[in-house]
Amino acid sequence: MTRTLLPLVYGSAAFVFIYLPVAALVLFSFQDGTLPVPPFEGPSLRWYADVLADDDLTAALLNSLGVALLSASVAVTLGFTAAYGLARHRLPGTALLRALLIAPLTVSYLIVGLGLLIVLQRIGIGLSLWTAGIGHVVINLPLCFAIIYASMGAQNVNAERAARDLGAREAQVVLLVTVPMLAPAILAAFFLSITLSWDEFIIAFLLTRFDVTLPVEIWSMLRSGLSPRLNAIGSLVFLVSVTAVILLELVVFRRRS
Amino acid sequence: MTARADTIRGWGFAAPALVWTAAFFVVPFVVMAAMSLATLDGRTLIWGLHPDNYLELASKAYLARAIVVSLEITLTVTVVSVMLAYPLAWIIAFRIPPRWQRLALLLAILPFWTSYVVRSYAWLLVLARDGVVNQALLGIGLIDEPLTLANTRFATVTGFVHFFVMLLTLTIYANLVQLSPNYRKAAADLGANAFQTFRHVVLPLTLPGIMTGAFLTFVLCIGDYITPQILGGNTELTVPQVIMVQLGRRADFPLASALAVVLMGLVTLAYLVMSRWLRLDRL
Amino acid sequence: MTSKTAFCLLGSTALATLGSAAAAQDELNALVWCDHTDPALIEPFEEAHDVTVNLREYEGTGAALATLEQSRPGDWDVLVIDGIDVFRAIDAGILAPLPADELPTDDFFPEVVMEDNNSRDGEIYAVTEKFGYNTISYNSEAVDEADMQSLSTVWSEKYDGRISIYDYYLPVMGIAALAEGIDTAAIDADALGPIGDTLSAMRGRAASVAGVVAAQTALATGEVDIVVGGGEWLTAVLAEEQPALTWTIPEEGAVRWTQSIGVLADSEKPDLALEFVKYIVSPEGQARLATSSCFWGMPANAGAGEFLDDDQKARLRWDDQEDYLAATQLYPAPDTDLDIEMQDLWLNTLQQ
Repeated sequence: MTRTLLPLVYGSAAFVFIYLPVAALVLFSFQDGTLPVPPFEGPSLRWYADVLADDDLTAALLNSLGVALLSASVAVTLGFTAAYGLARHRLPGTALLRALLIAPLTVSYLIVGLGLLIVLQRIGIGLSLWTAGIGHVVINLPLCFAIIYASMGAQNVNAERAARDLGAREAQVVLLVTVPMLAPAILAAFFLSITLSWDEFIIAFLLTRFDVTLPVEIWSMLRSGLSPRLNAIGSLVFLVSVTAVILLELVVFRRRS
Repeated sequence: MTARADTIRGWGFAAPALVWTAAFFVVPFVVMAAMSLATLDGRTLIWGLHPDNYLELASKAYLARAIVVSLEITLTVTVVSVMLAYPLAWIIAFRIPPRWQRLALLLAILPFWTSYVVRSYAWLLVLARDGVVNQALLGIGLIDEPLTLANTRFATVTGFVHFFVMLLTLTIYANLVQLSPNYRKAAADLGANAFQTFRHVVLPLTLPGIMTGAFLTFVLCIGDYITPQILGGNTELTVPQVIMVQLGRRADFPLASALAVVLMGLVTLAYLVMSRWLRLDRL
Repeated sequence: MTSKTAFCLLGSTALATLGSAAAAQDELNALVWCDHTDPALIEPFEEAHDVTVNLREYEGTGAALATLEQSRPGDWDVLVIDGIDVFRAIDAGILAPLPADELPTDDFFPEVVMEDNNSRDGEIYAVTEKFGYNTISYNSEAVDEADMQSLSTVWSEKYDGRISIYDYYLPVMGIAALAEGIDTAAIDADALGPIGDTLSAMRGRAASVAGVVAAQTALATGEVDIVVGGGEWLTAVLAEEQPALTWTIPEEGAVRWTQSIGVLADSEKPDLALEFVKYIVSPEGQARLATSSCFWGMPANAGAGEFLDDDQKARLRWDDQEDYLAATQLYPAPDTDLDIEMQDLWLNTLQQ
């Protein structure tokens, strides 16, 4: 009895906890009043219309998408080449190099952002989406490296050796054998990087200038006052992200397993 | 290929990432550390080896207090999150039929994809005086008067725990399903009850995974500005909040840098304590 | 998403970024407060002068000054800054003199022209554009309104735990000074003793020290009934739905905030920047700034009244301004050392 009842009760409670803020967020995004607090005054789409007509938000959304895609691509590429170099070639001090590449993972985003801000200001490089993107690569590179490095098992070595024995040059081996075999890890690293960059606030806040990413724009809205607009934009971001996640799950990962 | 040529090629592959990390992580970090030893004369920055900023940590009570507050909140969040996430991951891994596990896991972490700034704000609404939680508690008669939940440390911790339970459920689940069922079977055959199996077999085997997740929780939590800023009601300030105050009104980069170095020290301390279980390069 | 569409998206974003950088001759870069980001305010200027105005918000004067000092010539053209901090910008040598005869300061509410703050050695470096009050916001159904008319009864035991304090030390410490009978302009290191005591007492009664949204949420949901340091800019948006939420200026007075706008010395488009400043202080620009989406506030130029309708004026309490201006003092404008002491005192009080 307790064997099934307890897990059921615990699981349900956990899911209530996990979905509570999302439910409140989405419910009050349909608020037909100017305040997103109880009582709920009945469904209305006015805040969605309001948010969709806001050019700054749309621009911020596109900026976020661009920064996320570009920084994730760079992070995955660098992470992959480093993992390949360290796993397939004999380098002195491999443990130290691994530690160096992983190090940013153990540092708070605030510190990464603050350090970069100080250096960029000193050498006179203006802040922009590019500088925020550099910061995002710094935080995502260790994750990409770790994930891909961990998946570089021995079975791949044999396939690579076979290809080399058949006369393939190293570039061909990497592109035609290693990358396809490691595709699940590479994709996982890529999508994780996109997710983290898409939602990152403090680095983007410190390192952007006129064009900002979505979390920074939302932060500005949040400072300007209580409004169901925040609920609407939050719900929209959730809807878009979740759709992407489910599509990925169905199209990319389900097919492989 | 000679060993030397092999090494050169290896450097060729590893170099871009190493250079990137050195240029955009190591160098900024060193400059920031140097900045923490600089001092401000009015608005002029004076480089050098001045311990002033670190001495302020001792002389200004609110700075020392911020370190204590940050540590208290972060440790609470880490422990509570692990304790809440472990059973959930367990249920998903062992009580849900395998074909539904992926779906259950996905559902458990889906709110991860709400915007992070918005998620804290949503908790503010949920925990408000006539928010959902108070209404529910009043409704079932558990309390007579609404509780003050928003703008407290409780709210900050709740916001954090919500986020990290999702993250930890994912990592702990990944560890649990990697366990061969044979271990548990063997333990049962040897007469261990469910608790003994967990205590002596499953827990030790999943400890590295738990510790890695807990360490990441610690790092992300102690460096976070948004959650305490939105939910905490400023009744107490964490180190990142104090750093942002120094940057905002005064642009006191040296003091902010010193605080960042202290933050880094706390993370290093956590790393040393937990290092025997950590598997950071085997995420 | 296929890699091809991803690539196209990337490409177009990158091109858009590069494109906007290439069109630099038609741009004006302004470091501003959030009320300047309302398209209803900015677009008329952009259309009239065929330019793009790039706007960046900032949160603290220190951060803005650091940004400006680190920037290259031409990076920034216009600065919006806290009225009490104009002297810091002049000290830093980053503001250009403005032609006094081209500014309509004669039409301003006289109390907010603030020539002493905005000028030095006979040169004007900035001009006031907007003002309002940090005072007492409250829920008229939950508190005794008579208690709100005196600072001595606002943070009394009666309202223990029903108070939120606005999260900015200068105005709140200004209010604490007024409660102690100290003029805000007279605040010095010695005055910090009694101010600290008052602040401590206030903090002891408060449930939270809140930013704009947290304070609004707390008021709207009944978590607190009073916000010390609040004002029209905090409660006006709530009053539409909850008319009981209002504000007053108590008999001891309250503090007045102002914001100023100026042209940067390093600007490469000083003429265009001056045009922007002139637009912002013109009656039309002032009316739009006063009712900007981020927060409302009184326009410095009284001429804006002609462009505001009766509802808007009622909401701004236009007709009461004469009394309010007489009853309020500018919030404290400490020099660097005193500022550090005040901020330390504030942070210590929060952490107590």
